[in-house]
Amino acid sequence: MMTGAAADVGPKDGRQRPSARTSDTWFKWLLVAPAAVLILAISIYPLLFSIWVLFVNYDFQIPGHAFVGLKNFKQVIFDPVAVYSLWVTVALSTINVVVEFLLGLAIAMAMANTFRGRGVLISVLIVPLFISPIIVGQVWVLMLHSPFGPTNYLLSQLLGYEVTIKWLTGFPWNFVALILADVWQWTPFMFVILLAGLTSIPPHVYEAAELDGVGPWQTFWYITVPYIAPMMLLAVTFRLLDAIRLFDTIFIMTGGGPGTSTYSASYYLYTIGFTQFHLSRATAGAWIFMILTLLVVFLLVRRLLTMESK
Amino acid sequence: MAPVARHTSRRSRLRRIPFLRILFLAVCVIFVVLPLYWVFVTSIKPSDDYLAIPPVWFPDKPTLVHYTAALFAYRGLNGLINSLIVSISATFLSCLFGTLMAYSLARFNTGGQHLSFWVLSQRFLPPIAIVLPIFLNYRVLGLNDTHVGLILAYTVFTLPVSVWMMFAYFRQMPRSLEEAALVDGCTRWTSFWRVAVPLAIPGIVAAAIFTFIACWTEFFFALVLTSRNAYTLPTVFRAFLSFQGAQYGEASALAIVSLVPSIVLGVLVQKHLVRGLTLGAIRG
Repeated sequence: MMTGAAADVGPKDGRQRPSARTSDTWFKWLLVAPAAVLILAISIYPLLFSIWVLFVNYDFQIPGHAFVGLKNFKQVIFDPVAVYSLWVTVALSTINVVVEFLLGLAIAMAMANTFRGRGVLISVLIVPLFISPIIVGQVWVLMLHSPFGPTNYLLSQLLGYEVTIKWLTGFPWNFVALILADVWQWTPFMFVILLAGLTSIPPHVYEAAELDGVGPWQTFWYITVPYIAPMMLLAVTFRLLDAIRLFDTIFIMTGGGPGTSTYSASYYLYTIGFTQFHLSRATAGAWIFMILTLLVVFLLVRRLLTMESK
Repeated sequence: MAPVARHTSRRSRLRRIPFLRILFLAVCVIFVVLPLYWVFVTSIKPSDDYLAIPPVWFPDKPTLVHYTAALFAYRGLNGLINSLIVSISATFLSCLFGTLMAYSLARFNTGGQHLSFWVLSQRFLPPIAIVLPIFLNYRVLGLNDTHVGLILAYTVFTLPVSVWMMFAYFRQMPRSLEEAALVDGCTRWTSFWRVAVPLAIPGIVAAAIFTFIACWTEFFFALVLTSRNAYTLPTVFRAFLSFQGAQYGEASALAIVSLVPSIVLGVLVQKHLVRGLTLGAIRG
């Protein structure tokens, strides 16, 4: 079940003596201090520092830090590859999340009732979650290799004719390959959360529906979906915010190629910053990307909170 | 009466699993297991076998040469050791600081909602946006390509996980024992350290394992912040990018070395998985 973020966590200050209350104030802030200082030093301070980088020249190819105004932003916004990579990110993360959600929901529904071996089956299905995405990419490079990988061979056997798909270099198969790797790794994420939702529905609700002669589709739409809607939203939100980072599998599977055709936003910014060393331009792009991400966070997380407080 | 009734209803449910559902789940299991089997079998194949058509499903003469090559010729062993140093240190710091903060948030509502959401927001920042400024600052501080630099970065990026998991754990823990300790004359610190923390050990262990897996499997920060000295295991895979095909045995061997520990740990904390994935928002 959901535990409300804004739940009753109020301190019981009322019945304590004033001196105890002051020492409590010290105590509670001391406990918070190490983590807060570390976040300030390693995350917040560099972010603030990078605001300066946005408006100067910070480039390993051009010496000096002269003030350049909005040039860094202009270079990113008017770069067709940047805009293209943003669309690739939007398209791939949407497809990935939708496929993973539907597949995860289907598996969760298929396993909602207990049966012998269910625990073992869950253990097997969740394995991809614990593997480094870079290794998942490497695994699928092996699987999809043309002509030596098993995928084309198995497809040839199944379909009865020779399949010679260039999974990693041919359009649109390179996108299919990236989706395949992502779906393989992250469908269990949806599955696990949705299964927890499904098993928390009390059985008597279904029994009552069955007695009233409600059909399976109606039961699904009017009982199951409303009941697990908060979990669905939570799963999609968390997954989407990770899906838009999309970098590791592209790095190892396609290298952004052929050409720049599989550049995601993160991959684009990485190449600008760390293979071409236009650091201030990459920082400007990263800020634009971060603000777009925060808009998504704001919209989704606010939905999540209003849903939770109900 | 009751156990018998439950038993029969369970048996009837068992019988009601339709054939299509079994087929669907079987396809899912094959989809998950086949790539893992393929990596494993590639890692023990002699080099001639992995460039064979049709594919070799099990080699006649399994070999471990790729493991030694991956660990020594490709310096995978250094990566393994660096990964252990960085992941264990970052896990320790993250869980220590995370538990302290979570206790304060759960028992004193420190900073209200703002502080807890500020920590959570760190989880949602795109890594590329943080790693660029960190890289520039580390350059000034001389922390690029050091263990300390990567440990600090990993501690910060796993703090949302450890804080929120422990926050949820402390909130569902009754505070009566700590209050009894206070009445008995304990200080706030002893009631926390001697009463609350020992009771929270299961939660801390689960949080630690999730934190460790997150560090162990992380690639992007390590790619940017390390090079020849503090590189971690996942970054060793860069070495195989330039050789299409020829290095598949070594790449597979290294993949097996890296994925086995995190899978074993992950399956061990399976019952905490839902809490781990949703940062404590849902109790599994």
